[in-house]
Amino acid sequence: MAFGRGLVVGHLVTLRRFVRTFMVGAGRTWQRRGGGPQRVDFFQSPERGLEPVIEQTDETEGIFTVEYPDERLKVHERFRVLPVLVYDDADGGIRCTSCNICAKVCPPQCIWMTHAQGPDGNPVPVPEDFFIDMDVCMNCGLCAEYCPFDAIKMDQNFELANYERHQSHIFSMQDLLVSSGYYAETHPEAWMSADEQSERAKASKKKNQRLQKALSSSGDVPRLD
Amino acid sequence: MSEHSKKTVVPPVNVSRPEWSIPIDPVLQKELERQVLVTSWNQLTELADTLYNWGRRSSLWPLGFGLACCAIEMICTASSRFDISRFGAEVFRASPRQADVMIVSGTVTKTMIPVIVRLYDQMTEPKYVISMGACASGGGPFKEGYNVVSGVDKFLPVDVYVAGCPPTPNALLQGLITLQKRIDGETLSDLPWYKESVEREIPIPVLGPDLIDLRTVELAAERTAMGLIEKREAGLTKPVLHPAPQLDLPPVSEQPKPETPAMSKAEQIRARMQAGTAAELSAAPVTATPAAAAPTTVAQATEGPARPKVTRKVKVAEPRPSLRWLGNEGLAGLNARLNDRFGAGTSEIVKAGLLVPAEAWLKVARYLKDENVVRYNYLSSLQSVHYSDCIEVNYHLDSTLEPGSLIQIRVRCSEDEGLGVVPSVIEVWPGADLQEREVYDMMGVQFTGHPNLTRILMWEGFAGYPLRKDYLEPYYEGPTKVLESRIADGQHVRSEELNPYGTNLKIPKDFKGWDSLDSASDPKNQVLPLAAEGVSVSAIDSESFVLSMGPQHPSTHGVFRMNLRVDGESIIGLKPVMGYMHRNHEKIGERNTFLMNFPFTDRLDYLTSMANNFSYALAVEQLMGDDLKVPERAEYLRVIMAELTRIVSHLWSIGFQLNDLGAFFTPALYAIEERELILDLFEWVSGSRMMCNYFRFGGVGFDLPPGWLERCRRIVENRLEAKIDELDRLLSTNEILIERSRGVGVLSAEEAIAFSTSGPVLRGSGVAHDLRRAIPYSIYDRFQFNVITHAGGDIYARFRVRLLEMRESVQILKQALRDLPGGPILPGKKSYQVKVPAGEALSRTESPKGELGFYLVSDGVIGAAYRYHIRSPSFINLTALERMCLGHTIADVVGILGSLDIVLGEVDR
Repeated sequence: MAFGRGLVVGHLVTLRRFVRTFMVGAGRTWQRRGGGPQRVDFFQSPERGLEPVIEQTDETEGIFTVEYPDERLKVHERFRVLPVLVYDDADGGIRCTSCNICAKVCPPQCIWMTHAQGPDGNPVPVPEDFFIDMDVCMNCGLCAEYCPFDAIKMDQNFELANYERHQSHIFSMQDLLVSSGYYAETHPEAWMSADEQSERAKASKKKNQRLQKALSSSGDVPRLD
Repeated sequence: MSEHSKKTVVPPVNVSRPEWSIPIDPVLQKELERQVLVTSWNQLTELADTLYNWGRRSSLWPLGFGLACCAIEMICTASSRFDISRFGAEVFRASPRQADVMIVSGTVTKTMIPVIVRLYDQMTEPKYVISMGACASGGGPFKEGYNVVSGVDKFLPVDVYVAGCPPTPNALLQGLITLQKRIDGETLSDLPWYKESVEREIPIPVLGPDLIDLRTVELAAERTAMGLIEKREAGLTKPVLHPAPQLDLPPVSEQPKPETPAMSKAEQIRARMQAGTAAELSAAPVTATPAAAAPTTVAQATEGPARPKVTRKVKVAEPRPSLRWLGNEGLAGLNARLNDRFGAGTSEIVKAGLLVPAEAWLKVARYLKDENVVRYNYLSSLQSVHYSDCIEVNYHLDSTLEPGSLIQIRVRCSEDEGLGVVPSVIEVWPGADLQEREVYDMMGVQFTGHPNLTRILMWEGFAGYPLRKDYLEPYYEGPTKVLESRIADGQHVRSEELNPYGTNLKIPKDFKGWDSLDSASDPKNQVLPLAAEGVSVSAIDSESFVLSMGPQHPSTHGVFRMNLRVDGESIIGLKPVMGYMHRNHEKIGERNTFLMNFPFTDRLDYLTSMANNFSYALAVEQLMGDDLKVPERAEYLRVIMAELTRIVSHLWSIGFQLNDLGAFFTPALYAIEERELILDLFEWVSGSRMMCNYFRFGGVGFDLPPGWLERCRRIVENRLEAKIDELDRLLSTNEILIERSRGVGVLSAEEAIAFSTSGPVLRGSGVAHDLRRAIPYSIYDRFQFNVITHAGGDIYARFRVRLLEMRESVQILKQALRDLPGGPILPGKKSYQVKVPAGEALSRTESPKGELGFYLVSDGVIGAAYRYHIRSPSFINLTALERMCLGHTIADVVGILGSLDIVLGEVDR
C-alpha cells in the first residue's frame, strides 16, 4: 500500500460529502431556506406558527441543518420540558386533587402545593395554589408518569428563555394551567389512548364524588351536578 | 440698555420671521427634520446604537467552555443540525479575552466557581452571560448538594436564562436570540462598561472551609461566630446510622407488632427509622445482645412512651455481592485457606463477603493476587460504608482469567471522624489509587502507604467528610425524601431561606482563618514530585516545571485538570486534578427514594443515560431477587436501548478523539449526524434526547410508540453501517492519524488490568474482557457478537476498538430488533413505591465507557439506599493516565486523554 493512499481516500470521503450536500434535494433545500427577523436579512422569516416542520429520518441526506427558528424540528409527543397542570375545557375544573403524589415522587423536590379548604376548614380536593421551581426541576417526567388523575403533564414548550429568574422562575398555578384542549393537541396519541380515556372517565367521577363529599360535609352547599 | 435687553428675552416664536411663523403640521415638521438632516445628538447616537448593536449581536463569540450535561447540548448547537453559526456565534473561543458571551452550561460547583469568575473577569467588555439550564440558573436538581452553587447569578451578572434540564439545542438558540433582542435594545450612552465609575470586576471567591464570597465575608464571619448553622442542625432529624452486618447467625424471628394508626405516613417513616434499626437492617442481630437492644436505647429516648410499633417484617435479600460471583462454597473454601495460611481469625464470612482485619489485609491481598487458585488480579471496585460502629472499606475483586469469580472483602476501621486507618493496597492493585483517595476524601479513612493521600473531589481545607452519615449539608432538611416541608406546609420556600447564610454555605463555628482567605490560593493544586519513577529524559538539560492544564481547557473534555511536570516538552510527571464537577450524586442518592435515583443516573455519564439506567435497575433488581422478573419484551428493549447508546457514545468519542488529534471537527460533525438520528429515537420513545429516564425496576417506563420500531430498523440497517464504513474509510488508514496515534499512550495488558481499567481501554490493550460476554447480564447470552480487542494498547488501538465495537452493536441490534417479542413491559402495575429488601448489591455492566457498577446497601426500611456508590469507569480509567503519558509531549497528552473517553459527570459524580 502506497504511503498517502489513506489520505486520498479520506479526502474522497469529504469530497463526496461536499458534493452531496448541495446535490441531494437541492431544490428542496432552497424551498426550505428560512430567514431572519431584520429588514436587512435577505430572506424573510415565516410567520410564527407557520414554519415548516422538518422531520429527519433515515432518509435524510444533503444539508442536515434545520434552521430554527424559521424551520422547526418535529417535536415528538413524549418530549418533555416543564410540567403543566391540565384543566378540563368542559367545566373549567382543575383535574388536580392535591393528593401530593407528584410532590412525593419528584426527585429534586421542586413541587409544592397548598390544599384548598372548604368554608369550615375541611380540605377540598383541589389545590389552592401549586408551585414548581423551574430552576430545580429536572424535566424527568416522573410527576406526570405517576399522577393518578392525569392532572399534571409534561409540556413541550422549550422556548422559555428570559432575562430574570427570581420573580419569574417559580411557576404558580396560574402559570402552570393549560386547557385539556391544548394537551389534546400536543399529545394526540396519549389523549386518544384507551388508558387515558378510561382514566379520564374514572378520574372525573371519583373527583366529583370527593368534591361532593367535601362540600356536603362543610355545610349546605348546592350540589354541583 | 435695559430696553434692548428686554427685547432679547422675548420668546422666539414672537420674532416676526415669516418662514418660521407659518404653522405646519407637526408630523410634517418631523418628517422634514429627518429628511433635511436636521439632527440631534440623540438621533446620532441612536444611529450609532443601531450599527453598534447590529454588529455586536451578529458576532457573539461564545467562550468555548462547558461545565456539565448542558455543554453537550451546547456542542450539539454548534454542530451541523442546529448550526449556531447562522447567528454569527460559531467562533467558540478558547481564550476568554477573545470571547463576548459566556454560556454557563451546566452545574456550577463550588470548586469551579473561582475559575468561572476569573474567566469572566478576563473577558473583555462588552460581555454577556447566558445561564444555560436549571443548574446554572438556580442549582437545578443538584441544588441540595454540598458542592453546588445555587445559581451562577450569585456571582456573575446573568443576561439571559435558558430553562430546561438540559435545554435542547433549539432552546439554547432561542436563548441566544433572546440575548440578541436584549442587545438590540442597548444604547451606548448607558452601557455600564463605558462608565468609569462602575466597578465591574468581581472578587474571586475563596475555597476555605466552604466556598466563601469575599463580598459578604463580614456577614459570614458574624453568622459563623453566632453558631447559627449548629443551632439549625440541632433541630433537624438526622440520618440514622446502622451497625455493620455481623457474622451470619440463625435469624431471630420478630414478632409482629400492632400499628398505631394515628400517625401520618411521614411520621411513621421517621419513627421507624429511629426505632428498630438494628434488628431490621440485617436479619442477623448486631452483637451478642439480640433484637431488643437497639429499639430500647435510641427510640425510647427520643419518642418516649408513644414509640410506634413496626408491623412490616423487613425482607432480606439473598446475601451475594453481585449476581455472578464465586458462590458460597467457593467463598467458604477461600476462607478456610486463608485461615489455614495466616492463622485463625484472618478472615471470616460476613454476608457473603470476607471480613479481614486491617492488620492482615495487605498480606491477604498479596495472597489473593499471586497465590490463590483464582488469581484476583483485577480490583473491580473499592468503596466505603459508614456504619454506626465502624467504617467499612469494601473491595470487589475479580479475575480477568476467570471472570465471574467476584468476591467481596470487608476491612473495617474506626468510625471516629478522620481516625480510621486501613493499609493501602496500591502496591498490590495500582487501580486502588484514585479510589482510595476518594474514600479518604469522602469518609476520612487514612490509607497507610498511599503515596499521595490528598483530597480528590473536594479541596484541601474543606470542612468535613461529606459522605459520612453525620455530615449534614448546608441545605439539609431531612434524612430521606419526601422532605416534610414539601408536603406539610405547601408554601414555596427556596432552600436559601432555610440556611442562616442565605446561600449554600456551612462554616463550622470554630473556624478562625478569616484573615488568611486569599483569592489567589489554589487548594486544589497538587504538589508534584520532581519526577515520576522510571522516566528518563535525554533532551536538553533544563529545569522541569509544572504546568496546570485545565480545568477550563478545550481538550480536557470538561472541567478536568492535569498538573503536568514537564522537562522541555516531555512529560515527566502527571497528576489528574478533579472534582470540578463533583455534584454530590452519591450524597443526594442516599436521600432519594430508589425510584428518584433514575433521573439522577441519567446525569452521571450524560452521553449514555440509557446505560446508566440499565446498571442501576440491575442493582436494585438484584436486591429484589425473584420478586421482580423482567418481562421478555422489556429485556429486549433494554438491550436495544443500551446498544443504541453504545453507538451514540462511541460515535461521539471517535469524533472528539479526532478533534484532539487535530482533525478539527470534520469527523466529529460526520459522527454527530447519526447520533442525532438516534437521539431522535430516544426522544420519541422516552421524551428526552439525553436524559432518557427510561428504565424502571422490572422493565422499562414506556412502550414503543407506533412507527418507532420501523424507523429504528431502517436506521440500524441503512444508516449506521454506512456511517461506520464512512468513518472507517475516512480515518482508519489515514497516514496522519496513524503517525499521530500509533505507539502513543501505550498501556500493556498487565498494566491495563493492574490499573483496573475497563471498556475499550482494557480491550485496546488486548485483554478480551467484556462484561457482556464475561458475566452475561440481562439477556446478552442470547446474542451473537464478537469481543473486539486490539493488541496495540495505544491511542490507535482504542480508536479501532470503538469503531469495531459499533459494528458488533449493530449486529446485536439487528438480532434484538428481529426477535423483539410482544407482551408487557413491566411485571406488574406501575408504582412509585418500591419495596427494596435489605442487603447489599453490586451491578456490573459494560457501559460504553467500561465497567459501570452501582453498589447499594439497603436497610429495607427507609425506602432509600443506605449507601449508594457508583463504580465509574471514567474515573477509574484515569488511574492509568500518568503511566500512559510519561515521556510523551503535551500534544500527546491531549490525544491520550481523548482516547480514555472520560465524561466528567461520571468522573466527579
